[in-house]
Amino acid sequence: MTTTMDRTASAGHSAKSPLIEKLNVFTAFGLGIILAVVFYVLAAKLIPEDTDAMLIHTKHDQIILLAMIGWFIGFMVGIGALIGPFRWLLGKDLSHDENMFYAGKDLGTKRYFRYTTDHKVVGIQYLVTTMIIFGVGGILAMLIRTNLGNPEGGWIHPQAYNAIVGIHGIIMIVGTIIMITGPFGNFVMPIMIGARDMAFPRLNALSFWLIVAAIPPILSSFFLGGIMTGWTAYEPLASESPAGMDGYIMFICIFAISTMVAGANITATVVRMRARGMTWNRTPIFIYGVVASVALALPAFPVFFLSQIMSAFDRAMGTTFYNPAGGGSGWLYENLFWLMGHPEVYVILLPAIGALMEMAPVFTRRPLFSFNVAVMGIAGICGLSALVWAHHMYMSGWAPLLNGPFMLTTELISIPTGMLFLVLVGTLWRGRLWLTVPMASIYALLWNFMIGGITGIYLSDVPADGALHGTMFVTAHFHYTLMGAGLTGAVASLSYWFPKMTGRMLDRRLSWVSFWMVQIGFNVAFIGMFLVGLAGQPRRVESYNAMFNRGNMVTTAGAYVIMTGMLILLFAVVDSWRNGIKASDNPWFAKTLEWSVPTPVPLENFATLPVVTTDAYGYGKAKS
Amino acid sequence: MNRRIVGAFATVVLGAGLIAGIGTYVSAAKADTTILDATPAGTLETPQGTLKHFTMDLSIYPDSFFKTSSPHPDWVSYGPSTNFRVPAHSAITFTMKQYDSGEPITNDFFARVAGTMNGTINIDGKDVTKVDANTIGHTFTVRGLSNGKSNLFINVPMPMVPEDKMSENEGEYINPTIVKFTIITGDAGEYVWNCEFPCGDGTLARFGGPMSSQGFMSGHFIVTDN
Repeated sequence: MTTTMDRTASAGHSAKSPLIEKLNVFTAFGLGIILAVVFYVLAAKLIPEDTDAMLIHTKHDQIILLAMIGWFIGFMVGIGALIGPFRWLLGKDLSHDENMFYAGKDLGTKRYFRYTTDHKVVGIQYLVTTMIIFGVGGILAMLIRTNLGNPEGGWIHPQAYNAIVGIHGIIMIVGTIIMITGPFGNFVMPIMIGARDMAFPRLNALSFWLIVAAIPPILSSFFLGGIMTGWTAYEPLASESPAGMDGYIMFICIFAISTMVAGANITATVVRMRARGMTWNRTPIFIYGVVASVALALPAFPVFFLSQIMSAFDRAMGTTFYNPAGGGSGWLYENLFWLMGHPEVYVILLPAIGALMEMAPVFTRRPLFSFNVAVMGIAGICGLSALVWAHHMYMSGWAPLLNGPFMLTTELISIPTGMLFLVLVGTLWRGRLWLTVPMASIYALLWNFMIGGITGIYLSDVPADGALHGTMFVTAHFHYTLMGAGLTGAVASLSYWFPKMTGRMLDRRLSWVSFWMVQIGFNVAFIGMFLVGLAGQPRRVESYNAMFNRGNMVTTAGAYVIMTGMLILLFAVVDSWRNGIKASDNPWFAKTLEWSVPTPVPLENFATLPVVTTDAYGYGKAKS
Repeated sequence: MNRRIVGAFATVVLGAGLIAGIGTYVSAAKADTTILDATPAGTLETPQGTLKHFTMDLSIYPDSFFKTSSPHPDWVSYGPSTNFRVPAHSAITFTMKQYDSGEPITNDFFARVAGTMNGTINIDGKDVTKVDANTIGHTFTVRGLSNGKSNLFINVPMPMVPEDKMSENEGEYINPTIVKFTIITGDAGEYVWNCEFPCGDGTLARFGGPMSSQGFMSGHFIVTDN
């Protein structure tokens, strides 16, 4: 293993700084913790005490937020994110050897714990981080479901329960946002378009390590009074909540920066770095899904970021953006939140559906049915998803005259969504099916997303929403879309691209067992939840009327089946990665470019950049 | 047995064990895990006939210095516990010593008495059905469903102690307002009670701190068959 660099390689540049070699995830955590403590102590000492005359007591939140800012600065310095910009400011940009070191050349497993710029390393880092996030969110989900196994609740204190629900919600949303674009968008996408790396490799590493930096603040909220507001953090309720909300605010701000950086990088990569001959008509449909996802995220997450900055100001600076007592409005927050919140659903879904549309031709040995309709469907969803946010606010009393128009736009979005269904069904129709887990996942997505989509139409209807708003019906609906469709696509992606990412095949038998347990458990759990929701059980409650007991018992039983299936999948991934059957370069006989490179994929992917002359779906003639 | 089957099974067992362990920790990690049982006191004539009678003595302190290991000694708190256990289908007479000051309550609905025997409470020897909404110290409020058989709603407002009658010394409690009331319990079940007077600190409208943490101004109200 080589850990030193040629110090004479770049005449005119400074010799390599040994600092680059010393920085890693451990120095990042160390420096982050030290600066958090320093900021905390200084803030506690220097910030004046609150007085009784103040409408809002701010000192405690100022201290907590400053400590978290200290953590963030320390972590980013400690991981080495600022070396490149700092050297550039000094007019001494990194040398070729230093860039190769950053790319992880010859660093072995150490590169996974550093600020490594190679997109494949970043993809693996995202994969492991996403699994950890789902692990934490899954544990919280099981605590929720176990508590709800008894109508009286009581296993967990109601306030701890509220905190668990809030953190489960936001951490799972973030996990689902990154679950495909992070691991597979990074590892696979540049190779799929015939590029050597992302357009901005250092920004790529930055987007990943920002997510790692964001996780401790959200977990710290457990010890700061929790997030009592659910994942939406509605104002002014959030301002009335304990300092755990500061962890939420910091988490969202850092994550939003990460998403913006990643979105710009992915867009620039796809627009500027596709292989020669890869026209838009020859660009794989998965790329469309990923680009559409980040195109939605790019305008949405700055809004979310600003909404949280204003929350932080209300809590820590005594402003009243959202406090009606001071001239603010809770509706302002609701609008800002859902301007992000509904496009975010499609930020999650489009890469998942794109991935499954990518796999459908491979496992049916047929061309993708009506590529242009697929692209139009994705574009239609993108356009309409920015015009539907207020259907979350029908019952809030904000702008009742707009309920009708928002109902119309929301129901219209089922048309482009239906086009994607049509593409998948058309590809499956009379195909020569190769029944693998990714193939079965397409059927699972069609089933789950059909239920999630149709129930979404009911919820978009103003009169029906009046009855169903705030019930478990809503909770079941969005789980059917985000988990039943989104997570199913992510697990299929893992199964499909696992051989290219690890050089091993994912254990076939265990992944089938996991697939059926998760899908059956999922449908049992959330159909039970639909039923109690229709019967009127409110969501986000720690205890409930005994009349809902049977449905909740069914849901809890289903959740345990999901848990078992997911743990089996976890074992299958870990065991197959270490001991699985070695995979050939192209085990699925697929035609996209990532399968044309050797496994493990070389540092810069291609010895010679490819020239594309056809689309990637030349498996035969479509019978439409 | 196949190594992979054993490994998968072990992963499931370990995962379930991890969840159970975390759940048990969270379940046990209440700031106040003690439970105060009602004391038997014979029988009592009530509008519902002669019932078994029990008593319970509680206090509301402006700080929690009385707790030997309070994580927040300066927070307002009920004591000696915030979890109360009382028998089902019985008359329970509470005596509450309220030592804290107060202010106008945000929602004056909670200045009215509800859910007590005869709809009254006794404050320093005088029966009342409501308290001046501008001088509320705290409330004792139980509301909600337990097992669906008994929908319990109790609201007892407690007047403030004037500032000039309070001690200047931390942890010294003098001159309480004494509030007595009797409730009649229904079927067994577990409820959550809380104070409806926003007496927290640090966040907007004083709903933070002790109002949003365990073991201070909120707890469990357990009605048991035993």
